[in-house]
Amino acid sequence: MADVHIKGVTKAFGEHVAVDNLDLHIADGEFVVLLGPTGAGKTTTLRLIAGLERPEAGSIHIAGHDTTTLSPAERDTAFVFQQYSLYPHLSVYDNLAFPLRSPARKMPEDQIRRRVEDVAKMVRIHHKLNNRSTKLSGGEMQRVAIGRALVRKPSIYLMDEPLSSLDAKLRADLRLELKRIQAELGATMLYVTHDQIEAMTMADRIGILADGVLVQIGSPRTIYSEPANLHVAARLGQPAINLLPVGLLPDGGAPAGTRTIGARTEHLSIAKAANGHADGVVDWVEHLGDQNHLHVTVGTRKLVTLTDPDTDLAQGDRIMIRYRSPLYFGADGRRLM
Amino acid sequence: MLNRTADSVARATPEPLARKVRGISDKGLAWLFISPTILLLLAINIFPLFWAIYLSFTNFRANRPNEVVKNLGLANYKRILADQDIWIAMQTTAHFVFWTILLQTLIGFTLAWLIDRKFRGHAFWTTIILVPMMLSPAVVGNFWRFLYEPQIGLFAYAVSFVTGIPATQISMLSNVSLAPWSIIIVDTWMWTPYVMLICLAGLRSIPEYIYEAAEVDRASNWRQFWSITLPMALPFIMLAVLFRGIENFKMFDMVNLLTGGGPGSTTEVASITLKRQAFESWRTGYSSAFAIILFVAVFGLANIYVKALNKVKQR
Repeated sequence: MADVHIKGVTKAFGEHVAVDNLDLHIADGEFVVLLGPTGAGKTTTLRLIAGLERPEAGSIHIAGHDTTTLSPAERDTAFVFQQYSLYPHLSVYDNLAFPLRSPARKMPEDQIRRRVEDVAKMVRIHHKLNNRSTKLSGGEMQRVAIGRALVRKPSIYLMDEPLSSLDAKLRADLRLELKRIQAELGATMLYVTHDQIEAMTMADRIGILADGVLVQIGSPRTIYSEPANLHVAARLGQPAINLLPVGLLPDGGAPAGTRTIGARTEHLSIAKAANGHADGVVDWVEHLGDQNHLHVTVGTRKLVTLTDPDTDLAQGDRIMIRYRSPLYFGADGRRLM
Repeated sequence: MLNRTADSVARATPEPLARKVRGISDKGLAWLFISPTILLLLAINIFPLFWAIYLSFTNFRANRPNEVVKNLGLANYKRILADQDIWIAMQTTAHFVFWTILLQTLIGFTLAWLIDRKFRGHAFWTTIILVPMMLSPAVVGNFWRFLYEPQIGLFAYAVSFVTGIPATQISMLSNVSLAPWSIIIVDTWMWTPYVMLICLAGLRSIPEYIYEAAEVDRASNWRQFWSITLPMALPFIMLAVLFRGIENFKMFDMVNLLTGGGPGSTTEVASITLKRQAFESWRTGYSSAFAIILFVAVFGLANIYVKALNKVKQR
């Protein structure tokens, strides 16, 4: 395992700048998640590190060596693609053994067998080792693809939305599994996703990408509670943060220059209107079982927040809403302290 | 609402036509549409096949239609299988099929692999390579006859230029040992592009990310070729071999034009023998039996091959 240092890397496809002057340092053994919408430059960043793309500017150092101009094979990274990129005519075993059989390694076959079997157990696919890789379900294929990365001890694991095509249950299982494996191996990992739950639960640090620019990087807690701007704030939180114009609700203590107030569930206190004064009306209560989504209309704006599953609020109730130290954003979208 | 629309459409249809069409069910209409094709197929494919099977058991001669036709049972078949000349023709055919397929597959796949590198102008070269395939076999046969001419032919000239052998000694079509190769060369020249096209389709069907995965997994170009390119293109290569194999097993037109089976019977492939028996010796019953044997042989071999192909595909 090694650290990876990206310095001022820019990559453009024709007119479109996919990654713009990116600086990122991933420490040895660190799990960094890049979070952003489609087209933000997440995958391109991974491909640049793997050597599948060449940057126009900047440099990439792996374990202290400048690898900017090296071929993928010379860099020794492991890549899990978003599609199941299995070798379709090979068995599961041969797929897992493929990277180990590289002439660059010269690993004896009995050692390969041991390693493959270990990893197959780790990703829970050992009962299918002799199956054709095309005869597997989607979840099994992706576990083989992850396993094929794990059999190696590369400088860094690069994972491109490896769980996005799996069903919710399997995704949750593999999420935990991956985090456990990463911690066990002490692996350096750069993981790309647009799923905020994956980012929040697995990352040591989350980097938020937008239009090829790294907007903010920090621990999940920091990113969540101290977002640098509106874009970062909008990426995290379920239901999504309510961005309300200043003055819509009473806001004692908003700093000067505040234009927008960001309020997640924990930033709002809601109670039934008591003395005739009401800020809003309950539109709809969405019952999700363990919690409820409360849809509220305030003036012309709508906001969504969580309530207890046993809330006594009902459609049409008039309610009083107060901020509890929410997030303040200025005219340029940056958060004000 | 929907019913009303349907009604109004029905009312808009001219009365006589509507009356006629209403009498026919959808299925009936479908049969009506495909019946010309089926009738044509029956008339020019299925009926002649069964007629030939019938004739193969008789002594019928097409140049003596008024003679009494005798039923010979399996006599024609027995004579064919014991006929030395027939077996020589089969060997000539096998030799021709084997070498044309081998050369066309090797050259065709190599060309496809090169074109797939997507170098500058690869589309232009693809078109150029495809030209021979677009020509009619009759045209190809005729102009290769000229190319092979020892006195004026470009081919003989080029070979003598490279090897130093006088051009007049290079008579491809009349030399006993060169004649079989002369037809192999022409067929390869003409049909390699076809094999290339199918192989190219196979190569293009391999997704780019598989190569990227292999590259990250530190597989050399050589290993990528053997463990990804070749196995994944194999069903396509096999398909091309099947098409060319069936086609060349019944090769007639080009051989007939180039050598007519000669010199002697050195290039007499099965279909030339068949033509000689049927339209020079007028042994219609006998040649029908031979045609049936050829048909069964091709059909049987192709079936075995397709089974193998399906097995490869299912991997």
